[in-house]
Amino acid sequence: MSGMHLSREFFELIKSIGESKSKQEEDRIIINEIAVLKKKLENDKPGSITTSIPGAPGGGVATGGNTLTTNKKKAREFLVRVLYVEMLGHDGSFGYIKAVELAASQSIVHKRTGYMVCACCLSPDHPFRFMLVNQMQRDLVSSNLLESCGALIAVTNLITPDLVGTVSSQVIGLLDHSAETVRKKAIVALHRLHQLSPDAVPQQEVIEKTRKMLCDRDPAVMGSTLNVIEALARVNVQPFKDLVPSLISILKQICERRLPSEYDYHRIPAPWMQMKIVRILSVIGKNDIQASEGMYEILGDCLRKAEEAGINASNAIVYECIRCITVIYPNPVLLDAAGNSISRFLSSRSQNLRYLGVTGLASIVERHPKYAADHQLAVIECLEDKDDTLLRKTLDLLYRMTNPVNVEFITDRLLHFLRGSTDPYLKKDLTGKICTIAERYAPNNGWYVRTVTELFKIAGDLVDPAVATNLMSLVAEGTGNEDADDEADMLLRKQAVELYVTLLASAPNRMNRVLVETLAWVLGEYGYLSSIMPLDAIIDGMCKLLQSGNTAKLGGGAPSTRRLILSAIMKMVSQYGNCPAAAAKVIDDYTKSSDPDAQKRCLEFQTLLTTAPHMLGEVFPVDASLEDVDVDENLSFLNGLVSEAISSGARPYQRPEDDDDDDMYVGGSLSSETASTFKVTPYEKPTTTYGQGRMAGMGSTNMGPGGNANVTLPPGSGGTSQAAVTPSLPITPAQPQLMMRNVANVWGKQQPPPPPASTPAPVSTPASSGYRGFGAPAPSSYGGFGASSPVPAPAAPVKTAEQLEKERLAAALFGGISTTSQPPPPPPAAVTPQILTAASITPAATPVVAAPISAPAPPVTAPAPAAAAPAPEIDLLDMGSWGADPGPVATAAPSTLDMLAPTPLIQETVAAPPPAAPPAPPAPVPAPASVDPFADAGLLDGYTESAPLPSFGSSDTLGSAKFEFGGVAVAPLVITTPQFGERWGRCPATHPVNVPSSSSASTLSKFMALCERAGLHKVEEIPATNEGIAACMADGGSAVALVHGKVSPLPGGQQSRVDITVKSTDAQLGGTLAMYLQNMIR
Amino acid sequence: MIRFFLLQNRQGKTRLSKWYVPPPTANTASMSTANGNHMLSAGANPALYTTNNQTEAEKARIEAEVHRLVTSRDKKYTNFIEYNNYKLIYRRYAGLFFTIAVDVQDNELSFLESIHLFVELLDSYFANVCELDIVFNFNKVYMILDEYMLAGEIEETSKREILDRVKYLEKLD
Repeated sequence: MSGMHLSREFFELIKSIGESKSKQEEDRIIINEIAVLKKKLENDKPGSITTSIPGAPGGGVATGGNTLTTNKKKAREFLVRVLYVEMLGHDGSFGYIKAVELAASQSIVHKRTGYMVCACCLSPDHPFRFMLVNQMQRDLVSSNLLESCGALIAVTNLITPDLVGTVSSQVIGLLDHSAETVRKKAIVALHRLHQLSPDAVPQQEVIEKTRKMLCDRDPAVMGSTLNVIEALARVNVQPFKDLVPSLISILKQICERRLPSEYDYHRIPAPWMQMKIVRILSVIGKNDIQASEGMYEILGDCLRKAEEAGINASNAIVYECIRCITVIYPNPVLLDAAGNSISRFLSSRSQNLRYLGVTGLASIVERHPKYAADHQLAVIECLEDKDDTLLRKTLDLLYRMTNPVNVEFITDRLLHFLRGSTDPYLKKDLTGKICTIAERYAPNNGWYVRTVTELFKIAGDLVDPAVATNLMSLVAEGTGNEDADDEADMLLRKQAVELYVTLLASAPNRMNRVLVETLAWVLGEYGYLSSIMPLDAIIDGMCKLLQSGNTAKLGGGAPSTRRLILSAIMKMVSQYGNCPAAAAKVIDDYTKSSDPDAQKRCLEFQTLLTTAPHMLGEVFPVDASLEDVDVDENLSFLNGLVSEAISSGARPYQRPEDDDDDDMYVGGSLSSETASTFKVTPYEKPTTTYGQGRMAGMGSTNMGPGGNANVTLPPGSGGTSQAAVTPSLPITPAQPQLMMRNVANVWGKQQPPPPPASTPAPVSTPASSGYRGFGAPAPSSYGGFGASSPVPAPAAPVKTAEQLEKERLAAALFGGISTTSQPPPPPPAAVTPQILTAASITPAATPVVAAPISAPAPPVTAPAPAAAAPAPEIDLLDMGSWGADPGPVATAAPSTLDMLAPTPLIQETVAAPPPAAPPAPPAPVPAPASVDPFADAGLLDGYTESAPLPSFGSSDTLGSAKFEFGGVAVAPLVITTPQFGERWGRCPATHPVNVPSSSSASTLSKFMALCERAGLHKVEEIPATNEGIAACMADGGSAVALVHGKVSPLPGGQQSRVDITVKSTDAQLGGTLAMYLQNMIR
Repeated sequence: MIRFFLLQNRQGKTRLSKWYVPPPTANTASMSTANGNHMLSAGANPALYTTNNQTEAEKARIEAEVHRLVTSRDKKYTNFIEYNNYKLIYRRYAGLFFTIAVDVQDNELSFLESIHLFVELLDSYFANVCELDIVFNFNKVYMILDEYMLAGEIEETSKREILDRVKYLEKLD
């Protein structure tokens, strides 16, 4: 039967193409065909028409008998042949105009062919599309439903954004068409128009129509409407929340086979519709406990029925159910059922099902790690599979199930695959994942150094430069606690040095830039520690490295790498105490370098070496990268010179209005910020040049003979963290210091928390002059730093459900032991069981709330419980096994306050009151009086995403008062109102809510207090307009949420309404926060 | 959402290609912003046609790459491939490869079955479909596809409804 309807000519063509032996032969045939077709088009000129004989067999070029204009059938075949030519990859654009003509044909079949060819061939901006609009408009309103259908299909294929307005009203009209086949196409077409141009077809209208169409009496219309609902709900779920009962009822009817049997597929009732509904439910149920609860039953039914069938279509439904169950508010029964289905998939022999099993497992382990345990073998098997697709999913799974115990194994695996991979997408992805888990779960510092170095070796060009700076500061700083563990630090440095010495000896020409720079810095600082190679041999090796052709090419031939190696050589020469010949030669060579920076260094070094070798030790102090350099910023030693000059008639110096020289401080911007005389604005996005700029800057400042620059090398390295930990250390503006917390501290040994008496220090700090000195420049610098520098952020331990689980276990098992190892909290009365039990039923997270509750207990003054509240908290957090170090973190945060230590703020997950609260206790105090603490606790229990925690002592309840995102309490984001305004515009996700409020937020101040209790920073409160703004961040600062609230009293009542707008960089964060605030207010 | 639907034979000849989302080309962005003006100068502006060619060239490039990917895979492997920022779901019937490109969050198995339903449709329509049927009647295959998928979504899953609709159109011819 094939080809019966075709002309002989076309039949032969297809046949000969089918028989052609080579691409060349095929091309020749097609080129011939194009010539024939063009000829046909040429003959089709007005005047060349004679009579047309319909159905006459074609033969050769149409000779007068049939022209394309008169014989539509011929025209149609012509177009099909054009399409065929196009399908074989040749240009058929000469025939497009015929397609446009044919679309205007009376015959529906010809018309559809015309539209079809246009849809297949016309590129989105082809001008012929414009010519079709008129025809589409006419066909849409045609009385013939086939024409309407054809036009609707054409609309979805051919309309471009600027043409949406021309057909939208007709398409909307067709939603009420009597034929279901028109309606089902119209709703999809309407959605397509909305996607193309949200202005011409507003969302509100599409939502309204869609909701109506869902209730259509025809299942096909309902089915295609589901597609639209899913797409719309993914953008904005709110308008569909109330559809849950309808959707459940539809799904129920489908499961009970109440739909016509023609929708069955392999005896499964309407599988595609089932899947669509489950998908929509998962979108709606996400972060919505109430909606989720309504779905449990039907999801269970649906899953069970699908499990029974055991064929592909039903497995697809099972998979959809698994994904839904892991996304919505968790239900243990359903999770177990999903776990069983995943087991079945994983143990299947079908590769596809194993793939789904691995994907399903990955979606469940993040929040429910216990399900991973049963499948270790299956997962390992998948890892050894040759199928790349399965492998990638398994790697993703491994990444998600990483914990401190298995991190070494998993990192090993990931590195192994990274080594063998060539796909750039995969490599980039893996590199990021390895960095994340290595930072988050590193068992010890030595392992971290080895792992990251290995990563540099394999994929150094893909690594974020910040990772290299972190590595260096870790080597320099070690545990960050000099007194306790000097030996361990030295050991770490020795290990690192020997690792790099081996590298230097074995593969000097195969290293990438990051690796070379890190190596140069570590060896330059600590080369003398090497016991496997004498220092002069290392110097030789470095000289070779410097001169190798490979090094010259790194970073596109940028000089910074070579400068770094030069610096390292000089430092080692200074350590060695003698200049080996190779080094002397290299340095001499570089005195003639075309790079002025290198030239200057080498000349200076030569001079030093020859004239004052005894000074070398001072210019290149050993292991002093952490030492602060006293900078006499007033340049007082020049006073004599200046006064002499002035007295001899010189004009006194006047500061220029606009100091452009700021640029030279890019490298040391952090230190210059603290010097109040400099006007410093926060730098946007320093991360791109961070590592390099810093390294380069480091070298040159090192060389500076006057020593008037800060020598502290890696950002965030700083013995200064010591200052941060001990609040008693005076901080004066005269001593600019690097006040940055280092990520490496995360793995540090626990530090004894400062005497608890110092905990209230933040309250008093503002009064001290030192604090005020910092005050002026700090907030702005913090804003800039916090926003733009993700450097320390990744290391903030994000507590996964598994960690929380383990912490809870640890807390239960070792609670007593740990508390005894800590110095007892100040007022012992406050930590007595009474307080703990009282706290366990109240959201006593903030001092303000705690005060009234603990009042009936032992008589204590108000400030005391405020100080006491965080204290037991620290104990519990200290349980954090695997060396996370919340101790110093929690204590450092309050003492240094936000501007000094941005990172720890994020780390103190559940602890510590919002920093804004202590300095301003009067404002929030009225709030607790009107709040029913029990009601609060209840709401929160319902809210937190993880399953309610059973009796986790006080920390549980303390934590629950704060808003948690992904199991981690958000940290206040301390910014000013202008910064707030600036960020407001940049946040992509908006979540408006308005709630009639109870007494908990009847006034603005109560609302703001509520925000602060949730862990937000109060940015500003404007009583004049009854508006307030607050901000917080999550995930270590990577996600930011901004809250704007307006309290308007409702006319004639006690009630008021609160309009809240939450803007956030992360839609999920914004959504949950909005919901949380809404619940709190209700 | 479906980005494109491809039907290729083992040798890499495209038997059907339907694009629901046009492939990105270098010019797409700049051209669409200037959409308003070039209508007027359409005939005179040859650049428009090069854009058309670019889109076509990009389609041809992706189709060739998809062919290379799907034909090189072992039969025992999964029917899914991660490709750029989306996923390919493919299935082989005799010498023909059916490939759907979908978003990453879409359900792989569901689209694998969608391919099968489409093959069942062809099989019912042509009564035991073979590659030649598709070669000689590719325009009808497009028509069936148009009744089955619309704007990148599965629009109708009732076989009877789709076939009735196509056959009715046929009768009018």
